[in-house]
Amino acid sequence: VQAHKEEDNPQKAMEGNGLTPVPDSYDYDLIVIGGGSGGLAAAKEAAKYGKKVMVLDFVTPTPQGNSWGLGGTCVNVGCIPKKLMHQAALLGQALQDSRKFGWQFTEEVNHNWMTMTESVQNYIGSLNWGYRVSLRDAKVTYENAYGEFVGPHTIKATNKKGVEKLYTAERFIIATGERPRYLGIPGDKEYCISSDDLFSLPYCPGKTLVVGASYVALECAGFLAGLGLDVTVMVRSILLRGFDQDMANRIGEYMKEHGVNFIREFVPVKVEQVEEGTPGRLKVTAKSTTGDQIIEEEYNTVLLAIGRDPCTRKIGLDKVGVNINEKTGKIPVNDEEQTNVPYIYAVGDILQDKLELTPVAIQAGRLLVRRLYAGATTKCDYVNVPTTVFTPLEYGACGYSEETAVEKFGEENIEVYHSHFWPLEWTVPSRDNNKCYAKIICNIQDNERVIGFHVLGPNAGEVTQGFAAAIKCGLTKEQLDSTVGIHPVCAEV
Amino acid sequence: MGWEEVQVRGYPEFVRTAQSYHGRPIFALFCGDKDAEGRSWCPDCVTAEPIVRKELHNLPDESVFIYCLVGDRAYWKDPNNEFRKNLKLTGVPTLLKYGTPQKLVEEECFKAELVRMLFTED
Repeated sequence: VQAHKEEDNPQKAMEGNGLTPVPDSYDYDLIVIGGGSGGLAAAKEAAKYGKKVMVLDFVTPTPQGNSWGLGGTCVNVGCIPKKLMHQAALLGQALQDSRKFGWQFTEEVNHNWMTMTESVQNYIGSLNWGYRVSLRDAKVTYENAYGEFVGPHTIKATNKKGVEKLYTAERFIIATGERPRYLGIPGDKEYCISSDDLFSLPYCPGKTLVVGASYVALECAGFLAGLGLDVTVMVRSILLRGFDQDMANRIGEYMKEHGVNFIREFVPVKVEQVEEGTPGRLKVTAKSTTGDQIIEEEYNTVLLAIGRDPCTRKIGLDKVGVNINEKTGKIPVNDEEQTNVPYIYAVGDILQDKLELTPVAIQAGRLLVRRLYAGATTKCDYVNVPTTVFTPLEYGACGYSEETAVEKFGEENIEVYHSHFWPLEWTVPSRDNNKCYAKIICNIQDNERVIGFHVLGPNAGEVTQGFAAAIKCGLTKEQLDSTVGIHPVCAEV
Repeated sequence: MGWEEVQVRGYPEFVRTAQSYHGRPIFALFCGDKDAEGRSWCPDCVTAEPIVRKELHNLPDESVFIYCLVGDRAYWKDPNNEFRKNLKLTGVPTLLKYGTPQKLVEEECFKAELVRMLFTED
């Protein structure tokens, strides 16, 4: 064992005997690996308590070569651009409706993909910059470098030029998030794009095949169709796995009636390029999941949205002994977001059995830091978290799906109240009068407590937020009935 | 080649100047007009200017630093002035990297660290 002077750093010691020792004083109190929703929230919170914090954020480019700035998935290739493009599509619909309300414009209305994308990317750029300013202001050190563990309390950060630096910290938070999964078929990485590429695509995608039935697939298919593109969704089995299936099917029906083609029970087996271009032409060969049938079709763009995988396989977790679920890559944590290694924590999409949502990651990150450094005891509440799917007909939900409620409480112990409704704004332009729908699921044995809330209609997210708070307070059917409605709004139903 | 400074006044002159340097990194500081004694009507600009100037040596080679006086107080307060409408400025002083969403507004310009970050980082 070498005698260490106070200034010796782990790098020197490594060179000396080839082993990484446990440093006795650390460079940082906390190093956060991943600058997304969870990571940034945790880092800024820790800085508030005077801790010395570093954030490492690095985006490995997509197979198409695409990359982005600080802020994580939500800001760059998730919630934010998705909602803006969904809004673009809604505005297209509003323009059509407006004629019935008396607006007169004679020209055809067209959509310009580049104009929309530029505006969206500009806004995202201002968010990236805003995060850098707020980190710097909070005295959090930020490095655009890929972090991986190399030994106890030690990580190696590699920047895009390949320069490596070692850092040590007393504690770590892993918040590396996920990336889109590829199919593993010929032509997938060369010719297909994912949501990582879509929101900054420098050309209009044209006739698009969306592979997948996740909310990512349906939301993207939804707004692409709303912008006037020819869209097909190829689904292996069911829509929106994990969501209330009755609601999922209603969403699918609505999309089908509004111009989205669905190919059910098929999977792509091969993607070939027919012609290069922006966009080019691709030929997709698909096989039935129920028989031998093969189909072929040409598209300008193929968008893969079949799932996301955690970025946990190449960050050296084995070097520090952090357990991951080998099959899924997710990290199991206790109810305090702690991994099996006491000084290493994790937040966000990479957690096993937890919801993959930005507000959840932010809440978990902040509460974790308060417990670590401010003596707080509150743990993150993962129950009754509201969500919204921004398909053309929006779907907001909080609590149990009907299937899960039946499974948990028994069919005889739950009561479902439901209703179709026709938004007043849809009447004049003669839009569907039987598509918007709401239901609540109540637990008969517990005072008819509302344990599930589902609404399909415009502004579903806005509607659901308030009900989520009520459910958290233990809303019962009787209380709901005795609450006077606001008129005329969808939420009064 | 180092960096160079150009001083302009008013929106048309600013746009002409920025366009003439197309292709080089352009940084701009927008301040309220100065009176005969050289004092600006904008107190925050008075505070920010020396702080920004102290960091100018960090500018990347080939950059242009445009020091732009926007106009008098009345002009600035008009919500339709060209700087607000076209450059989306919301306050003075504003220090920005032209052609990018990167900017510092008002008190942010007082922080040498942030100014340095704007000048030196991508």
